[in-house]
Amino acid sequence: MKNTADKSRETPSGERSPAGQIARRLIHSRRPASAGDGSSARAAATACDRLYDELSRWVGPDGCHALFTRALAQARAEYPALANIHLQPRSESYIDGVAETIMAFGDPATDEALESMLARLVELLGRLIGDDMAMKLIERSTVSDRDGAPSVKRREEA
Amino acid sequence: MKKDERATIRSIPSGVPGLDSVLGGGLPEYSFNLIAGGPGSGKTTLAHQIVFSNATVERPALYFTVLGEPTIKMLRYQRQFSYFDPKLAGSAIQFINLSTEVMERDLGDVLDRIVAEIERAKPGIVVVDSFRTIGRQHGSSERGTSFDLDHFIQRLALHLTTWEVTSFLLGEYSEEEQRNPVFTVADGLLWLSQATDRNSVVRKLQVLKIRGRASMPGLHTFRITDNGLQVYPRIPEQTSKRSLQQTHDRLSTGVAGMDEMLDGGIIAGAAVMLTGPAGSGKSTVATQFMSAGLAAGETGVIAVFEEYPEEYLRRANLRNPEVGKMIDAGKLALIYLRPLDLSVDEALFSILEAVDRLGAKRVVIDSLSGFEVALAPTFREDFRESLYRLVGTLTATGVTVFMTAEVSEAFAEARFTTEKVSFITDVIIVQRYVEMEGELRRVVAVVKMRGSNHSHEFRLYEVTAKGIVVGGTLTEYDGILSGTPTLRGKTNGVSPMPAKVKRAQTKAGRVAKARRGK
Repeated sequence: MKNTADKSRETPSGERSPAGQIARRLIHSRRPASAGDGSSARAAATACDRLYDELSRWVGPDGCHALFTRALAQARAEYPALANIHLQPRSESYIDGVAETIMAFGDPATDEALESMLARLVELLGRLIGDDMAMKLIERSTVSDRDGAPSVKRREEA
Repeated sequence: MKKDERATIRSIPSGVPGLDSVLGGGLPEYSFNLIAGGPGSGKTTLAHQIVFSNATVERPALYFTVLGEPTIKMLRYQRQFSYFDPKLAGSAIQFINLSTEVMERDLGDVLDRIVAEIERAKPGIVVVDSFRTIGRQHGSSERGTSFDLDHFIQRLALHLTTWEVTSFLLGEYSEEEQRNPVFTVADGLLWLSQATDRNSVVRKLQVLKIRGRASMPGLHTFRITDNGLQVYPRIPEQTSKRSLQQTHDRLSTGVAGMDEMLDGGIIAGAAVMLTGPAGSGKSTVATQFMSAGLAAGETGVIAVFEEYPEEYLRRANLRNPEVGKMIDAGKLALIYLRPLDLSVDEALFSILEAVDRLGAKRVVIDSLSGFEVALAPTFREDFRESLYRLVGTLTATGVTVFMTAEVSEAFAEARFTTEKVSFITDVIIVQRYVEMEGELRRVVAVVKMRGSNHSHEFRLYEVTAKGIVVGGTLTEYDGILSGTPTLRGKTNGVSPMPAKVKRAQTKAGRVAKARRGK
């Protein structure tokens, strides 16, 4: 059950926190033109894959995985829907278990849970290296393709 | 191309204050460099400083991280430095992690990844941090046999140069490892170290090799501050454009009687040393010397080594309230140099910077004894040579240097100066205590003054609230150097004070009283 005091996504007034807004934007950038069943949660998972891909270039797969692991652990305490979500470093899809979670909890709940995890990661990275630099790194993951830059095979291409 | 036209090797600025002088003008463009040193020696900080001062969006820098310090921690700590501009990160400076290639693949893949990223970004600068971990991972392993480390280094250097990249490999190497192939291939080799002596640690930088440049030899001290590295070259660059002009002008010491003894004053551009025991008024004379310059419209610098600047200034203001005002007006700089790990070059840098900034004519170093104590133990051993460089460099700018030095002496034994430093001075003035008629008196004499017909007399003086007041001579006394002078013709040391001395003391007292009353 979602905790009403989810600080990483919402401010006290109920609005999305800056980290929550960035997470939402990341997910939105991965949303396909025509929405279907589970499309929101799949877009959220793709956004995570893409962010893992981009951040790994900077801080290495191990460093990036450490960040995601902590963000997932924090979000899991408030979102039971994340119980079956697993992180798979160096695999085609970094976020594993999305389809099963959508089946069990539905698309909106899975989407919301993944968004919360992303928001926590944004906050964590900001605390570690400064919000300005964290934003820059994160927003690079919304850029479609760098010229010739090596990348992991993405979920939407699969 | 013309027949005799040579390729010009341009220099790129390191962005590290002092380092370009040591490098002989900067880093040669497109050179392949190694920055080596032990853990914590400042390699990563130096590389970041170079990168942040040169990278642009059009000509970015690629910073490859391998293993060792996790990148996220490196970024967290590096961004504490003032040079770290987060706006450049991601655009002008791109951080790329190579740990997957290094850990899971062979050196060929590592090289391919580096070359692919260079082709993509077309950088001006490339850093590999730490290159040593690539060597450790592949140098002696089975994976290294198909594409050995020597070959990898050779090809990497070739690629980087042909892509017109200035590159820096960072690594923890010990001095015994200088046969490593990377040392041979590198165009530039910067060695950073930390010398520990008793409880003091001094950072040092040495340019072991730099192709196409006449670098400055030797070990140069450096500090890491909030602004990054600051190198203090052993032979400081003359920032001031002033040349040494021997004007033979006489500068007043601010003490009338002392000017008389000095044949009219100190010759401009001289190095003066005033020695004496504790409480003899050395700092007082130094303040008067500076005050006289300020009153004449000159600017000056006082380097304080023995006490905190606030206390020094408080006491200087008591003697001359103008001192504080002159600091506020930018006519006088008070430099406080009291760390216990100071290097001579760092002290010289601070003084020279202030001299240049103010266009100073007078410099006071108060005191040499405090300076010696402030130095890291490793520099105390060659204090004489260091001081020679300090005084020589300062006087070469045309400033007059007034130094004080405490001499500890047994009462009945005269020591004019510390034997370590007398040779570097043009003028030596000695203060000392003597016992006369059961009272402690102070006397002053000019022991040495190059090129002048100075006084050879001992003269009494008093230290008043307003400064030193020099009185008359003691020509009727013998044995002044013994500390217990006797009136000529007497031998028991209890001779009555002759009228001349009494007059001299009375005169000094009158002047002092009149000044106190002002």
